[in-house]
Amino acid sequence: MKRIKGSFKYIFLSIASLISVFPFIWMVIGATNTATDIIKGKMTPGLEAVNNVKMLLEMVDLPLVLWNSAKIAIISTVLLLLIASLAGYGFEIYRSKIKDKVYGGLLLTMMIPFAALMIPLFRMFTKMGLLDSHTAVILPTIATVFMIFFFRQNTKSFNRELIQAARVDGLKEYQTFFYIYVPTMKSTYAAAGIIAFMTSWNNFLWPLIILQTDGKKTITLVISSLSSAYFPEYGVIMVAIVIATLPTILIFFLLQKRFVEGMLGSVK
Amino acid sequence: MKKLCSMLVMIVLITALVGCGESADKKVDSSAADEGKITIWAWDPNFNIAIMEQAKEIYLKDNPKVEIEIVDYAKGDLEQKLHTNLASGTTEGLPDIVLIEDYNAQKYLQSYPGSFEDLTGKLKHSDFAPYKVGLMTLDEKVYGVPFDSGATGFYYRTDYLEQAGYSAADLENITWDQYIEIGKNVLDKTGKHMLALDANDGGLMRVMMNSAGSWYFDESGKLNVANNKAIQESARIYKELFDSGIAKPTSGWGEWVGALNTGDVASVTTGVWITGSVKAEASQSGLWAVAPTPRLDLPGAVNASNLGGSSWYVLSSSKSTKTAVDFLNTIYGSNVDFYQDILVNRGAVGSYIPSQSGSAYTKEDEYFGGQKVYSDFSEWMQKIPSISYGLYTYEADAAIFGVMPEIYNGGSIEEALKKAEEQVKSQMQ
Amino acid sequence: MHRRHQHKRRKNFYQMYGWLFILIALVLVGLFNIYPVINSLILSTMSGKGVVYSFNGLGNIKRLFSDTVFQTALKNTFIFFIFQVPIMLSLALLIASLLNDKKLKFKGFFRTAIFLPCVTSLVAYSILFKSMFGYDGIINVVLMNLHVIREPIAWLSDPLWAKVTVIIAITWRWTGYNMIFYLAGLQNIDPAIYEAAEIDGAGSFKRFKSITVPMLKPIILFTSIMSTIGTLQLFDEVVNLTSGGASTSSLNATLTLSQYIYDLSFKYVPNFGYAATVSYIIVLIIAVLAFIQFRLGGDRDEKN
Repeated sequence: MKRIKGSFKYIFLSIASLISVFPFIWMVIGATNTATDIIKGKMTPGLEAVNNVKMLLEMVDLPLVLWNSAKIAIISTVLLLLIASLAGYGFEIYRSKIKDKVYGGLLLTMMIPFAALMIPLFRMFTKMGLLDSHTAVILPTIATVFMIFFFRQNTKSFNRELIQAARVDGLKEYQTFFYIYVPTMKSTYAAAGIIAFMTSWNNFLWPLIILQTDGKKTITLVISSLSSAYFPEYGVIMVAIVIATLPTILIFFLLQKRFVEGMLGSVK
Repeated sequence: MKKLCSMLVMIVLITALVGCGESADKKVDSSAADEGKITIWAWDPNFNIAIMEQAKEIYLKDNPKVEIEIVDYAKGDLEQKLHTNLASGTTEGLPDIVLIEDYNAQKYLQSYPGSFEDLTGKLKHSDFAPYKVGLMTLDEKVYGVPFDSGATGFYYRTDYLEQAGYSAADLENITWDQYIEIGKNVLDKTGKHMLALDANDGGLMRVMMNSAGSWYFDESGKLNVANNKAIQESARIYKELFDSGIAKPTSGWGEWVGALNTGDVASVTTGVWITGSVKAEASQSGLWAVAPTPRLDLPGAVNASNLGGSSWYVLSSSKSTKTAVDFLNTIYGSNVDFYQDILVNRGAVGSYIPSQSGSAYTKEDEYFGGQKVYSDFSEWMQKIPSISYGLYTYEADAAIFGVMPEIYNGGSIEEALKKAEEQVKSQMQ
Repeated sequence: MHRRHQHKRRKNFYQMYGWLFILIALVLVGLFNIYPVINSLILSTMSGKGVVYSFNGLGNIKRLFSDTVFQTALKNTFIFFIFQVPIMLSLALLIASLLNDKKLKFKGFFRTAIFLPCVTSLVAYSILFKSMFGYDGIINVVLMNLHVIREPIAWLSDPLWAKVTVIIAITWRWTGYNMIFYLAGLQNIDPAIYEAAEIDGAGSFKRFKSITVPMLKPIILFTSIMSTIGTLQLFDEVVNLTSGGASTSSLNATLTLSQYIYDLSFKYVPNFGYAATVSYIIVLIIAVLAFIQFRLGGDRDEKN
């Protein structure tokens, strides 16, 4: 009986894993096939891979587009981690009634759909003269309330005696944060970093609105415009999707261990 | 100390990265101020974009000082950007020239008055197909440069239809009911579906309506759905197409286009812009032909119709309107050779009438078994009933296809359309 | 006396210092969230076409009651919410508790595989799903070969199946994400509690019900609120699954509130004032649902 139960467990998890991974296999196979084969549900790899890559390179300045995406994702991740961890730390360590109220207010802003903010935001950035700039893509993403929440939750498990000790040693408050808090919370930063990087790398709606020229476009925007053709080349699009997905998979694999540890802190 | 160092490195890194972003921005600002630069927004890299690139190349030969940038967006993305820019009241982000689908023209012109350049008298609009010019006219001012035609044709596989016992003459000037009968025979004899159809896509319904000179709205813009004979007929035919089993259900654009190339369907009735996608499958060369569009069995209905098509507009906010207008006029408004080129290379049928006596239009096309398809299309184009789309085409389209499932399930067409009409009414103001 | 005074001053000093830590975030959120929100609140009292609009008072709110499209969108959004959130969260919880088994082999593999969907962008995975769930697509091919179905299912165009497809797609994308939260929460539970229960003869279902669920309550609350927000703002998936090319396909069955806001601004004759009103309805619904979930999930303090 127990053995049956045990093997059920493995079967269930294997099916769940298969379903999760299948679309990835599908996209890699698709990258080697023609549009017609993909629509017909052809499951076997084809010989079109080189051709598809060639076509993609002809249609898109791929290195530039990837550099744009990478630049935006790296800068916003670094800034977001800094700003959100400072705020999360501030809210938790220097807790007060007013701050808790402000924090509650911040959480409420998460409920507003982005569609409602779009036009006022756009107007603001044009007035600031930041239209069609990567700065404008980055700025609204570096104060994500969810990340502040995430860091605050993690800070709850931070040992406050370390702060007292630091104060006795004469460290300034900001020094305590940078020299003691940041190194202790490596896993939290890794987890938040992965989420921030993925969100920024995959961001679509806001970059679409604020970026105006081809030279500034990100990979996600390019995929969207490729798929709009009257005759969409699915094989080429699949190549683009594979390329767009690789960096996020890579980063996840590299930081995976830390990621799980970091998530642990957020739920204590 | 080590930590301090790494901190410093990080701060330097951040400032450097942010700094590099800023410096790149300034560069763009300075070039945008340049008088001779035109930015153009369009969609579809294989069609509109490629054609614009060609226009640019021709124009730059004689005007080397002008700089032209063509930016490619998905159609929906472009529309969204245009709305956001126009609505924000800041003009800095707008291009100089933009492609707008004909169905949307009046909507933009009326929702953003003063945003588009009045082109009346700046180019010879009488050289273009009259129905195109009508769509871009508001208060007797003409705002755009007509571009591609959406004249429709009934593309069919000669081999399949022959197998079912039909010759080209049997397919000339038929009604939709005859089309369904033919489809049933094709299905019987060849096992192939007559057409691919997305049950939620209003494209074919617009083809049917337009052939009868009717639309969701009458000439004065008044809603005309519930008691519109053309819509009732179209709805009945949509249901019949599925019930008879001759329509292969597809969902989404890619699948629908794909069905043409896989050899799964015997025909497609749509705008001439599909030609390039049909020809994409080289192995089917010689197996296709084009007949006139089937018509609704209603008085006044003709065997010609239109689906889609778009036109170029110049934004008033442009710093180089003169250059932009000159560019469009030089290429799209007078260059007959250019139209021959884009017809041969991209299968684009322009609505510029003088171009249609050009050599490319009268050439036999091997892909279509030697048929002079383009001279046929330009002939049909002259017959398209002129109608006005009004402002709310997409609202009406969504409302009708919201109730189509009821019709598919055997519900009363009148009742369903009444419901749709109520819905559109609540959205019009 | 002096000492207490000094203590208070110290405390005040730290309190002020605390604001400095929060300051940058507050300025940014204020600029990029709160200012636009107020802006769109003003907008919600206006109505008209594009930039031609005028003050409409409560007219937009009145319009909601006669707007059948809005009601359809509201209904659809609720259907997605009622089915998708519980399915996804219970799946995530089930998988997490299976993975929490110390003796389980290939744990890392399973965990990575199930989390993997979260790395894809919404645009990319929508295109993937569109190609897989086509009429001739791989899903139908596989199901037919397995003799599960006799004829292909119109996954993306049939009103019922289209809803199912959207639910499958979102569940695929987000289950792993929620699972990680549960997994992290489970690792905080002392294994001794489970061992004690096992000795007492509690079966695995009983252990799940009376230990796992109560201990994870705050996390379940957190994930359900996040998922509620996500579902009510559902947009990219439904749009990308049904649009593309020159298609004008309009499937009422999957229209969501966020998509309706988008349509009101960018597809139909643009009425940004009315679109703003609908977006405030979303905020209102989320606030109410979050409040209910807090009530069901126990009091606030438990969460902190």
